[in-house]
Amino acid sequence: MLRVKAIKTIFLWDWELEYRRSSGWFISLLFSAIVTFLTSLLIKHPSPNTWLALLWMILIFSALQIANKTFSANEGQYHYINQLVHPLELLIGKSLSSSFSTLLISLLSFLLFSFWIGFPKSSDYSMPLIPLIVSISLGSVALSFTLCFTSAIAAKVDGNASLMSILSIPLLLPTLLVSLRASKLALLGEHIEQIYPLWIGELSLCGLSLALGAILFPYLWRS
Amino acid sequence: MKAWKVTGIILVAYSMYAGLMSDVPRLVILNETIRNLYFHVPMWFTMIALLGNSLVQSIRFLLSGQDGSKVNLNLDLKAKNFAEVAMIFSLLGLFTGMIWAKATWGTYWTSDPKLNGTAVTLLIYLAYFVLRSSIEDFEKRARLSSVYNVFAFVLMIVFIGILPRMTESLHPGNGGNPAFSNYDLDSGMRMVFYPAVFGWILIGWWISSIRHRLDILKKEK
Repeated sequence: MLRVKAIKTIFLWDWELEYRRSSGWFISLLFSAIVTFLTSLLIKHPSPNTWLALLWMILIFSALQIANKTFSANEGQYHYINQLVHPLELLIGKSLSSSFSTLLISLLSFLLFSFWIGFPKSSDYSMPLIPLIVSISLGSVALSFTLCFTSAIAAKVDGNASLMSILSIPLLLPTLLVSLRASKLALLGEHIEQIYPLWIGELSLCGLSLALGAILFPYLWRS
Repeated sequence: MKAWKVTGIILVAYSMYAGLMSDVPRLVILNETIRNLYFHVPMWFTMIALLGNSLVQSIRFLLSGQDGSKVNLNLDLKAKNFAEVAMIFSLLGLFTGMIWAKATWGTYWTSDPKLNGTAVTLLIYLAYFVLRSSIEDFEKRARLSSVYNVFAFVLMIVFIGILPRMTESLHPGNGGNPAFSNYDLDSGMRMVFYPAVFGWILIGWWISSIRHRLDILKKEK
């Protein structure tokens, strides 16, 4: 039986660790800031398609950056944690905490991105910002759920960062395509009724990766 | 030789002969290239069948150690061999498709959902082989790669099965383009197409099981 308390403990434990060695957080934020700034120097007045492509490239690499260290505690710590919580509780706690940091970093990168690069010229000035932000948030959460699971696999193979990218990038494509489409419709100022099926798509991809992870994680984690 | 192997040989031989010699509908643009249907499409059916079996073997492996008994590493080996042969079939399907695309669409490669799906499938399974090769310990390798196989297969099916239907595409069966069965796969073509599909699946299965037996012999040696 899943214990909410255990999940909460894992979640809070992760956040406390992040807070104590704030370098982790700071690295992710600085990474997206640098990449965004670099992009803003390289391109001026991008078209909506280019704008979205750049934004999602930045978001996906920030998410990878965060996921890389999701399971990066050492073996000894996990021996201890495994005594206390069920693997499922560990996975869910970790997924929640990493999706939360991915969400925050994504929103901050989006803020920086729209600050330095601005919105594409062709888009309507009355463009509703809320649908765009919702699409980006749901998309980045869905990305982080998939990434959390591949990060667990990579952690079992001594946490090799490039192995992590190889394993996860092909698996991220369904999420990425749905999110790209949702944010494109939002950027072009489409009506909510046309966007929300894609939000449901993003949510169901979240659910799918979490469900798959929940089924497979106990097999992965036993040693 | 077992009956299913003989059936496979006969069906593939028949589909090759009938595929080149039988009468086909005359259609604009497609012209004689419609015969590629007998060679290009069965490759994908075979790939999916072999990957499906690879998935089944991975699940069986994960379940094998449950009751405290020893895990069966051969099941994982089988999953690997079926996935390898499936990738050969996916490459064959890709090349036959590229030739067909050049003849009808005028280019070898376009950014089409079906083509992207193939590229992603190849990447996913290449990652699976990379993952396998980067783990030394046999049991750990089997466990991690089986887990990845199951996870990746489901997301791949989402990608190649559902997403192309959401976007526009030149490929038959997508984005408003009717699949062959709707208008021009006449009964004459079905008589060659279905045997070709079953024949190639049997041949693919045979190749995979030979590879698997070879691997087991190597392991025992």
